[in-house]
Amino acid sequence: MKRVFRFSEGRDGAARDVRSEIRFHLEMRAEEFVAQGMTPEEARRAAADAFGDVEAIESEVRSLRSGNERRRRLRDGLRGFGTDVAFALRTLRKNPGFTLSAVAILTLGLGATTSVFTVVNGVLLRPLPYERPESLAMVWLQGSAAEGLAGNLPLSSGFYLDLKAQARCLEGIAGFRSWSYSVAGDGPAEKVEGARVTPSLFGVLGVRPYLGQTFTEAEAAPGGPRVALISWSYWRRRFGGAPSVVGQRVMLSGEPFTIVGVMPKGFAFPRGAELPPGLNFAARTDLWTPFVFSAADTRDHGTLNMAAVARLAPGVTAAAAEAELTAQLHRWSEENGSRQRLDYRLVSLQEQAGGPVRRSLLILMGAVGLVLLIACANVTNLLLARTAARQRELAVRAALGAGRGRIARQLATENIVLALLGTGLGLAFSVGAVRAMLSLVPRSLPRVDDVSVDGRVIALALGAAVVLGLLFGIATAYQVRWTQLAASLHDAAGRATGGLRRRLGRRFLVVLEISLSLVLLIGAAELTMSFLRLQRVEPGFSAERALVADVQMPLANGFDPARDGPRWRAFFAQLLDRLNAAPGIVAAGGVSSMPLTGVEEGSGVRIVGRPAPTTSSGLRTQYFVTAGRYFEAMGIRLAAGRVFDGRDRSDGAPVVIVNREFVRRYLPGASPLGLQIVGNFEFFFSNPPPARTIVGVVDDVRQAARDASPVPQVYVPEDQMPYPSQTLVLRTEGAASIALRPLQTEVKALDPVASVSNVRSLEELLASSLARQRFSATMLGLFAAAAMLLSMVGLYGVIALHVGQRRREIGVRMALGARAGDVLRLVLDEGMRITAVGLVVGVAGALATGQVLRSLVYGSTAGDPAVFAASALGIGLVSLAATYLPARRAARVDPTVSLRAD
Amino acid sequence: MAGSDLFTGTLEILVLKALSWGPRHGYAVGRWIRESTGDALVIQEGALYPALHRLERKGHLAEEWGQTETGREAKFYSLTAAGRKQLAAESRRWTAFASAVTQALALSRA
Repeated sequence: MKRVFRFSEGRDGAARDVRSEIRFHLEMRAEEFVAQGMTPEEARRAAADAFGDVEAIESEVRSLRSGNERRRRLRDGLRGFGTDVAFALRTLRKNPGFTLSAVAILTLGLGATTSVFTVVNGVLLRPLPYERPESLAMVWLQGSAAEGLAGNLPLSSGFYLDLKAQARCLEGIAGFRSWSYSVAGDGPAEKVEGARVTPSLFGVLGVRPYLGQTFTEAEAAPGGPRVALISWSYWRRRFGGAPSVVGQRVMLSGEPFTIVGVMPKGFAFPRGAELPPGLNFAARTDLWTPFVFSAADTRDHGTLNMAAVARLAPGVTAAAAEAELTAQLHRWSEENGSRQRLDYRLVSLQEQAGGPVRRSLLILMGAVGLVLLIACANVTNLLLARTAARQRELAVRAALGAGRGRIARQLATENIVLALLGTGLGLAFSVGAVRAMLSLVPRSLPRVDDVSVDGRVIALALGAAVVLGLLFGIATAYQVRWTQLAASLHDAAGRATGGLRRRLGRRFLVVLEISLSLVLLIGAAELTMSFLRLQRVEPGFSAERALVADVQMPLANGFDPARDGPRWRAFFAQLLDRLNAAPGIVAAGGVSSMPLTGVEEGSGVRIVGRPAPTTSSGLRTQYFVTAGRYFEAMGIRLAAGRVFDGRDRSDGAPVVIVNREFVRRYLPGASPLGLQIVGNFEFFFSNPPPARTIVGVVDDVRQAARDASPVPQVYVPEDQMPYPSQTLVLRTEGAASIALRPLQTEVKALDPVASVSNVRSLEELLASSLARQRFSATMLGLFAAAAMLLSMVGLYGVIALHVGQRRREIGVRMALGARAGDVLRLVLDEGMRITAVGLVVGVAGALATGQVLRSLVYGSTAGDPAVFAASALGIGLVSLAATYLPARRAARVDPTVSLRAD
Repeated sequence: MAGSDLFTGTLEILVLKALSWGPRHGYAVGRWIRESTGDALVIQEGALYPALHRLERKGHLAEEWGQTETGREAKFYSLTAAGRKQLAAESRRWTAFASAVTQALALSRA
């Protein structure tokens, strides 16, 4: 049998095929009858009779066939794809050098991109873990900047209750504030991060308990039963996950509470990093108790200490609700003669959580995208070089009958397989990388719990793999010189690499790589400089050898300094006296809100003997309650007067210490010592509030952040304004950690229910205050380093290939008298030309994108020419090195060897 | 099977058998069946073609256009590996069946 080529049939083809098959049968049969002696006419009829109903059989076969055809085509397609993949894997295995470098580069590029996207996805894109999170919004008050009330302020209980009663644009609203409890156990008392919440919270968020019930309104009424909800993780940790916990009685801060339910796994609202730091929420909330409004609370519109989250009514936008609520508030202000100008401000919960870090995350995403782009350019370059080297193999396959489409498909399959390998490894890499990234920002990144590799991340990675594979395939297929495939059979394998257009293409890719690297390097350098500048900013205290810990007295029956004040005062006085006497401790003190922890308390003050300020809230100042020898322990320098001492007891004359900025702003030209101020921060059990005499002036302390400008600050002694929680600072002679044991022993001895938490060294605290900046600078630095490495590999590859191609030419030149130095210069020249173009494009790119970075940079050096010059010089030098290696090889070409090369 | 007094499935065994010596076109398969059964099994010749295509669908046969010795174009069928296996299995089954029936008939006559 000889084969006959037929085009594979379509539907019509199938019919023709069947008909000719049957016609052949009938003709052959008729011939047989003729041979038996029939006339052709008789034979034809006899053949048809013997066959049966031709039409019916033909149609039966045709329907059978069309099914066969479809099946066969699918089978062939799958088999073809399988063959392609198997062939691709074989080819890749046969070139381990190429495969390893390409896969490594792709793994790096895709792994880094996937890692950053995983974080971006968790922090910015994933819906918050509450029901219909898009209609949830935080409700804040906004005052005027002139009164020092700028920014989002929490509500007071009075405003909250008004909103709850009247706001029709809200489906529901819930209030909450941080409230930690200490729980005594076998060891030292444990501080449990808690929140007081209105019973509506769980309904508003749409979260149902894992066990038991959430709060009823009755439980939030004054005098109601004391109940608590606990988090899933606290339940596992403390109660071993026993279901019998519901109904169990626990002692919280010395008071009996009944646990009424366990919240589902992962629920930790409010999570501190998602809300303004001043509200003092812990990273995760483990315990909830009902917010109980006293009769006084319902009328209190002044104490702004309650955060609120609302669910918008269906069809109402945040902006519309904001306008409606603000209009109501203004009417209320007029009716009640309030002089304060306050607006409502609604911030979607998603925005609230991710907003502060959105910009830096998106910049990182952009930066890592550039790294990926460079990686792709590099791999494309590798592929181009290899395809050129494979021209002969492709020519053979074309000669053996593979069509253009077939070869292109093969190349595409190879590249997709390559990209998939890179993606798979990149995903694996990113699991570790994400963990490493998160460990760089332990506290300050919002929604850390929501960061994980999910379907969206995997889909993005796979999508990227396929797109990249196709792009690589197109690039290589485009490069195959189809018309010259036959010609290259005659060509020596090693020489089929030239082609001006392709050489230009490869150079273009390296120029791209170098310019993108420069953009990244300049960005990283600017962020690093800004970070270093920030680090040099004096915080106003000295951080070496000091231990910091939060110590909290149990707050039973609410915050009542008139009733509990003496106990708090006595506790901290005794504790600090004992610690100051402890061996190894140089000075021990405490403060109500520790600098650089995001906590700040502000208030209005008035200076006795000066006209009242025009704004309603007075002169704004931060205020602190200090205990023991705080200023010595913290290393805050005294500028004038004295620090607090034994004279400043509760029964002594009321005193205050102010900072330099306070004097500069409110008492210019005056001698501050001896002047008196009255603060709105005073507790109202001493009515009227006392006039405090300024006894000292201290240096400015950066409270909110390292890059915050100095603000007025006042300090009041704990003895004269008792406060239940203090962050203690223990300055030590040797290592800070030696202070821990005396601290724990003394606290337990004085009050077994008081809790010690958040123990760290002051240096750690200082460092973590810059965690976000360090994170951005580190990440960008890493990306810039990766980008530089990749682009140098790319430059090296292009030059090395170039040198390899020109061996003959170089040999001839040297045979004709060129010296090694000339050759070296020739090759270096080539590399430097590419680099120079790359640097020029890069500088332009950096100028164009500089604006994006500016918001992250502290100080005024974004666009600093020195940074630009240094970065460009750096890349230039490294480029020189990358070019020098192949150039030296070229210079050592032995003319005789290279002339014999073919 | 339309137009055939063969036992169900018998035609397919015969087709497989006819192809066990190598590729043949449909007409040759038909002629082999007529000749080797001594025309004892009268089949309508057309019934052969649905059987061929059914076997192909099952993957027992492969088809290819080719030229006959006389230079005419015809579609050739050949056994696939699966077809070969099927032929062996069917032959065993048929022999067992036939001998069982033969034995039973012999007994009832006795």
